[in-house]
Amino acid sequence: MSQNLLELKNISHFFQLGEGKKFKVLQQISLELNPGEIVALLGPSGSGKSTCLRIMGGLLKPTHGSVMVEGKPLSGPNPNVSMVFQSFVLLPWLSVYENVALGIAPLDLPEEEVRIRVKKVIDLVGLEGFEEAYPRELSGGMKQRVGIARALVMERPILFMDEPFSALDVLTAESLRKEVLNIWMSKKTATSSVVIVTHNITEAVSLGGRILVMGTNPGHVRVAIKNELPYPRDEKTAGFKSLVENIHDVITEAINPDTPDWIPPAFMASTVEALPPVSISEVIGLMEFIATNGGRADLYAIAQTLGKDFGQILFFAKGAELLDFVDTPKNGIVLTDLGRRFISSDVNMRKKLVHDALLQLKLCQLIREQLQAAPNYVIPHAEVVETIHNLLPNEDSEKQLETLIQWGRYGELFGYNADVQELYLDVGQENT
Amino acid sequence: MYSRVPAVLDRKFSYADLLLLLIFLAFLYYFIGLARQWNGAFHPEAAIDLSLWALPKYSFFSLIRAFVAYILSLGFTLIYGYAAAKNKTSEKFLIPLLDIGQSIPVLGFMPGLVLGLISIFPNSNMGMELACIILIFTGQVWNMTFAFYASVRAVPTPFYEMSDVVGLGWFRKFRKIELPASAINLAWNSLMSMAGGWFFLIACESFTLGEKNFRLPGLGSYMAVAIEKDDSHAMTAGVIAMSLVIIFTDFLIWRPIISWTRKFRLEEVEGEIEDTPFLTMLLRESKLIKVLKDLLRAFKRAPVRIKEFSQEALPSALFPIERQLLQSEQTKRRWKWFKPKLKAFFSAFIGTLTGILIVWIGTRLWELVRVLNWIDWRLILIGTFYTMLRVFVALVLSSLWAIPFGIWVGLHPKLTRFFQPIIQLAASFPAPMIYPLALTLFFKIHVGLSISSAFLMLLGVQWYVLFNVLAGAISISRELSESFDLIGVSRKDRWKKLYLPSVFPALVTGWITAAGGAWNASIVSEYVLYRGTTLKAAGLGSLISEATASGNYHLLGGCLIVMVISVVGINRTLWRPIQRFAESHYRFER
Repeated sequence: MSQNLLELKNISHFFQLGEGKKFKVLQQISLELNPGEIVALLGPSGSGKSTCLRIMGGLLKPTHGSVMVEGKPLSGPNPNVSMVFQSFVLLPWLSVYENVALGIAPLDLPEEEVRIRVKKVIDLVGLEGFEEAYPRELSGGMKQRVGIARALVMERPILFMDEPFSALDVLTAESLRKEVLNIWMSKKTATSSVVIVTHNITEAVSLGGRILVMGTNPGHVRVAIKNELPYPRDEKTAGFKSLVENIHDVITEAINPDTPDWIPPAFMASTVEALPPVSISEVIGLMEFIATNGGRADLYAIAQTLGKDFGQILFFAKGAELLDFVDTPKNGIVLTDLGRRFISSDVNMRKKLVHDALLQLKLCQLIREQLQAAPNYVIPHAEVVETIHNLLPNEDSEKQLETLIQWGRYGELFGYNADVQELYLDVGQENT
Repeated sequence: MYSRVPAVLDRKFSYADLLLLLIFLAFLYYFIGLARQWNGAFHPEAAIDLSLWALPKYSFFSLIRAFVAYILSLGFTLIYGYAAAKNKTSEKFLIPLLDIGQSIPVLGFMPGLVLGLISIFPNSNMGMELACIILIFTGQVWNMTFAFYASVRAVPTPFYEMSDVVGLGWFRKFRKIELPASAINLAWNSLMSMAGGWFFLIACESFTLGEKNFRLPGLGSYMAVAIEKDDSHAMTAGVIAMSLVIIFTDFLIWRPIISWTRKFRLEEVEGEIEDTPFLTMLLRESKLIKVLKDLLRAFKRAPVRIKEFSQEALPSALFPIERQLLQSEQTKRRWKWFKPKLKAFFSAFIGTLTGILIVWIGTRLWELVRVLNWIDWRLILIGTFYTMLRVFVALVLSSLWAIPFGIWVGLHPKLTRFFQPIIQLAASFPAPMIYPLALTLFFKIHVGLSISSAFLMLLGVQWYVLFNVLAGAISISRELSESFDLIGVSRKDRWKKLYLPSVFPALVTGWITAAGGAWNASIVSEYVLYRGTTLKAAGLGSLISEATASGNYHLLGGCLIVMVISVVGINRTLWRPIQRFAESHYRFER
């Protein structure tokens, strides 16, 4: 019987928030990792993919469900796993050689054997000649090579990569990705299977034999896509492109609250949506662009015309969509009637429209209710942050509040006094 | 990679070696003297020779005491700071305890330590020497421990995740990650701690306890006797000797260490100037050191060899391999079951122990101060008021000159490079040694001790303000400064809108440190030996000194309680909110 390397059985995970409050980060995740495959966990921030990886690595103990390694339940760090980190996590006071050797330090091997093993992986990742260099002397790409070498030297069957290339520039990321794939295909290392966490669709498609697309609130696997394109994969082939497009459709649908075909209705009611990290002016900018384009545009085309990152444009779109100013059918983006009214309005009317739209948002409603209940309609900064954290534990609450304040100020829903660090209800506006 | 030992012996020796050898021999000579002093017959009041020739010996004795105290401080820091940083339960009481310890002036520890240790070593000077070292230790240790604790707490989470994946044990984590990550902070605070230890040197080496005089041979006693006999030549010589000791340790020890710790910074700063300190150059030159290094390396590998031998050859000879595997598996499982229980037990044990200790100290203190009547308490409270006033004056005056000067220097890299080492040396010099000189000047213009003791406090603590303002000024945003140039902002507005707000968070830190230092310094600045007589100014510090000298431990206990409450209380109710305000309003985001 062929045995899987690692198995997640019905994993659900909660983050414990103070005073007995809990927030669900992961819901009902089951996953088998087979020998010799690459699994990509793809999803937006807040879909719990890093949490999932840490549970598989034994760094976090799941609230429910079990992690099985070689048929036995896992407790403590997973001994079959090595890991590459987004931020490299190199020790600046150790040379490249010493950083790599740290990976096998607990084995207490004789010096000669350490040298042989370290030399082998250093050659493999292309760091020859840099053994005595210190991390600060290296570029980002070279640093991540050290991170990869440290993982490979451990000679463990499973390699975890947590957004390994997202701190690198595009070209470096692409070439390093290819090299990692080559190393894995060459079978020169002990690495049998790889789990990579990413938010980059192309990356997932070019590496993943299985791609698990994850959704948010709580994190769950929306769809598992088997990718049987032969390695190494050429991004220019029709098969590759169509797969990217398909996955893209799956993801963009997630930002479209109108067609929640995958969200159980019972859950919808209580869903609090996170605000994308964009300012109102950026959202308006996007809408103006669509308006000049005849009220309809293609998200890709917008990204290209504006010279912006596609992910950024998705955020703008999500912002506009939360306010019900646009719809996002497939790749396109269309102004709604409300959106058209907004574009043709003057500033005061625009503020009024944003005001009304914000009142439809669960997050704004809850904060406003809290404000109305507070003495003098004032809540201190820390308290709001905590509320947001309780509602959206996977988001950066400070960032959420920042966006909320910015939007709320525009919509004259509430204001923020930076001197005393308090959020206050814009009472004047309430009375009119 | 590893050259064998004999290969380096044929290297030629250089002048650097000669110099090192001389220093080594001098140390050896004085060490013998020190050993004699320690083991010598009990001699509580050493006769001090005021001749110039005696000075090197006294300086050396004091230096060794300070270093032994420093090593104690370092050991304490590593254990205490680590315990506070790694264990949430212990953190809850270890940190406030540290706060309290910091606010107790050196004299507060004196009676217990001196009398206790002398009773343990009744026939030699060992007890007094140890007491003196521990007294110096109490002037050094606190800021180091705080710094180490904060550094360990600041190690980013991914590093812990990495070490969990790799499977590093706690000791490897400590040695490879936590200790190096705190090296820079530790080095700077070591320098400050040494200065803190020097500050009370006179008080630690020469003191009166319950009408009984104690004096240890050392630089502090030399100064004390010189002041007592009003011998201006000896006083000058003592000040010069102290300066030389400070310059010596600064150049030969702290600077090389600080420059070496630069490689331990976690974040990467570009374009930093790296100078090579004198000792590093000396060591690089020296062949002797190279030989020593090679020897050390050979030694370092010895345990690995032994381990290899014991792991491979020994066990397989003793046990069959299967049994070994079985055993290790079993021990592992047992350990896993045992570990959380052990942890819980340990926490509970420490908790109970502290609880008992607190109750015990509480009852002892209560018994001690119970006999004080309301006249005593009134005296203490009035003294506290006066001392508080002086601390305030010292802070205001320090700020008046240190803020503009610090900003001015900090804005010009050339001036910074010129002034920083000078300020560092001046700050390390123990101010009480020049109190007699300062008092002479004040008495000439008919200012009594009551007012001038605030100035004496100032002499010691102004540097904290200056240091922090300087650090703040160095990091004033260059982009902002340039944009102010472009807009053409007036000089006045520039100070008001850029410079002062930029240095404010650092300034608050400076004030907190300076205020704490000033409270502590009150014991020597309100109660001063001057031309053979003891001058007193009404205040909490002079009350403490007087109570110690006359052996009135009831009064001493009362004073200490009030002092700890004042310092910790002011820190929590006044300084912390100001600091939080400064951090949230005037801190640049990075």
